[in-house]
Amino acid sequence: MTAIHVQYYAILREQAGKSAERIDTSAATAAALYDELATRYAFTLGRSQLRVAVNDEFCEWTTLLSEGCQVVFIPPVAGG
Amino acid sequence: MSAFEFSHVPLDTQALQASLQDPASGGYASFEGWVRDLNEGRAVKHLEYEAYEALARKEGQRIVEEAITRFGVRGARCVHRIGDLGLGELAVWVGVAAPHRGEAFAACRHIIDEIKHRVPIWKKEHYTDGDSGWVNCERCAAPTVDGHHSGSEQGHHHDHQPAPLTAPVSPHDSPVPDYSRQIVLASVGVDGQKKIRAARVLVIGAGGLGVPVLSYLAGAGVGVLGVMDSDPLEASNLHRQTLYSLQDVGRPKALLAAERLRALNPDVDVRPYVQRADASTLPTLAAGFDVLVDCSDNFRTRFLVNDVTVTLNKTAVIASVYQYEGQIQVIQPGSACLRCVWPTATRDGLVGNCAEAGVLGPVPGVLGAMQALEVMKVLLGTRSPAENAVVLFDLQTLQTRRLKASRSADCPTHCSGNDLAEAKPTDRGILENGPLIDSLDRARALGLAIIDLRDEQEVTQEPLWVLHRHIPLVRLLDDSSVLDQSTGYLLVCTKGLRSSAAVSTLRERGHGNVYSLVGGIAGLKERSTPR
Repeated sequence: MTAIHVQYYAILREQAGKSAERIDTSAATAAALYDELATRYAFTLGRSQLRVAVNDEFCEWTTLLSEGCQVVFIPPVAGG
Repeated sequence: MSAFEFSHVPLDTQALQASLQDPASGGYASFEGWVRDLNEGRAVKHLEYEAYEALARKEGQRIVEEAITRFGVRGARCVHRIGDLGLGELAVWVGVAAPHRGEAFAACRHIIDEIKHRVPIWKKEHYTDGDSGWVNCERCAAPTVDGHHSGSEQGHHHDHQPAPLTAPVSPHDSPVPDYSRQIVLASVGVDGQKKIRAARVLVIGAGGLGVPVLSYLAGAGVGVLGVMDSDPLEASNLHRQTLYSLQDVGRPKALLAAERLRALNPDVDVRPYVQRADASTLPTLAAGFDVLVDCSDNFRTRFLVNDVTVTLNKTAVIASVYQYEGQIQVIQPGSACLRCVWPTATRDGLVGNCAEAGVLGPVPGVLGAMQALEVMKVLLGTRSPAENAVVLFDLQTLQTRRLKASRSADCPTHCSGNDLAEAKPTDRGILENGPLIDSLDRARALGLAIIDLRDEQEVTQEPLWVLHRHIPLVRLLDDSSVLDQSTGYLLVCTKGLRSSAAVSTLRERGHGNVYSLVGGIAGLKERSTPR
């Protein structure tokens, strides 16, 4: 299991009911982690509508997770 | 009937007003300029107007057409007298018809001001003491012109003459803008202030984000500030759009913002555009500005601003908010753009906007103020940390996070060269489908100039009720050089046959931007008749 710090933005925050959490996961990639969390929180947005950033840098969904890394899930927002 | 004309005989204002009658116009505003008995302390007996008619007519028409596009009014005309006029006689008339009074007043004011500044008209004043002198009419418009008259060749062009940078204010003078508090900063200085003044910034959206952006940039003394917004003010906007007042509800925000900003800083050339930003309006408008600020509230516009920015090699500052959160990104030539980060254009409706998701007023206020700040950094040549990054603000926890982004090799905008990526098929819609247009409103929305192809007799029997140029078919086909390649035209005839034929011919000759009114004027009347 890997300990990871996760942060949610916009509608993901609402659906998760929290803006950040520390979780232990067996997911190896950012994609696998999102899928796991999407099941847990019933996220309505698919991965194609989001971006993921690991350690403050936008990256591919195939990026491997490492112990203690910071993962941010973020959709674009439209309000103005 | 032309948008701008000269008349050697007294004007019939009733007939002029009637020529603008239009069932869709709920407001009509007019201005009349009369011959006054006094000019600069000298008693005037009568005067003569003279103009370089060919040149003046062209410039006058351009001004009226500009006003129609800029303010979205339905019709406008101006007629100027030429020749000898007595005291009290009507020298110039402007009339504007529009759906609402706000646009009508604004367009009317704009037309007379621009006519006075730009159209080469001269008047010879005959004074009661027997003396006389030529006076450039530009002098009539400017309330505080300096002393020398004698009709010297003052420029006819519309030069924006800003006030000095840090002029002291004496209690007896009208106050002038004072930028000393920002000039004192080492990163600004007098040189920085000059850069700010030389800048042309277009703000798309005059709402929650746009209001602080516009206010701070006007305050800072940005030279030209464009305000693009097609929406009227709603009462539900006011908790976050603090430039406006409750009594303004229903008026176009672009015009309201322009009024407020001119009062805030008369030094700034504020240009309102009551227009929706789409693929037919934004590229042309954006070409005249250095920096675009996206303050829209939907993905469609936001991605369009991005695509136009990349295509035209401009700079953009893009921000958006969602409840307590905001995102900001600065796009410079060569940097990561919005589609480098979000390659799949998100559809509106998937993630809420302010109306759907709710927002506290200060949230767009904070993000808009940050956009203004990033614009100033760009103008001053300071590197923005929001370039090649998306900066996230969580205003609930006051946490900030900067996510690095890089230019994507697969970015659809950067890869599409000079094409407007996905904006084209949806936004250009009807234009892509062929050379036919079915309503004058549609033509106006697309910024097309209207040309009536019918002959004199038909025109007399059934005049066209919107602003247009009259060029009979034969004359147009004889000499199509009157068509400006950068303008789009809607050709109109009685039933749509001649206009359709003309469009085919002109397109073969390389005029791609001409369209035909389906069914002609008869078709319009038929469609507007209640069944």
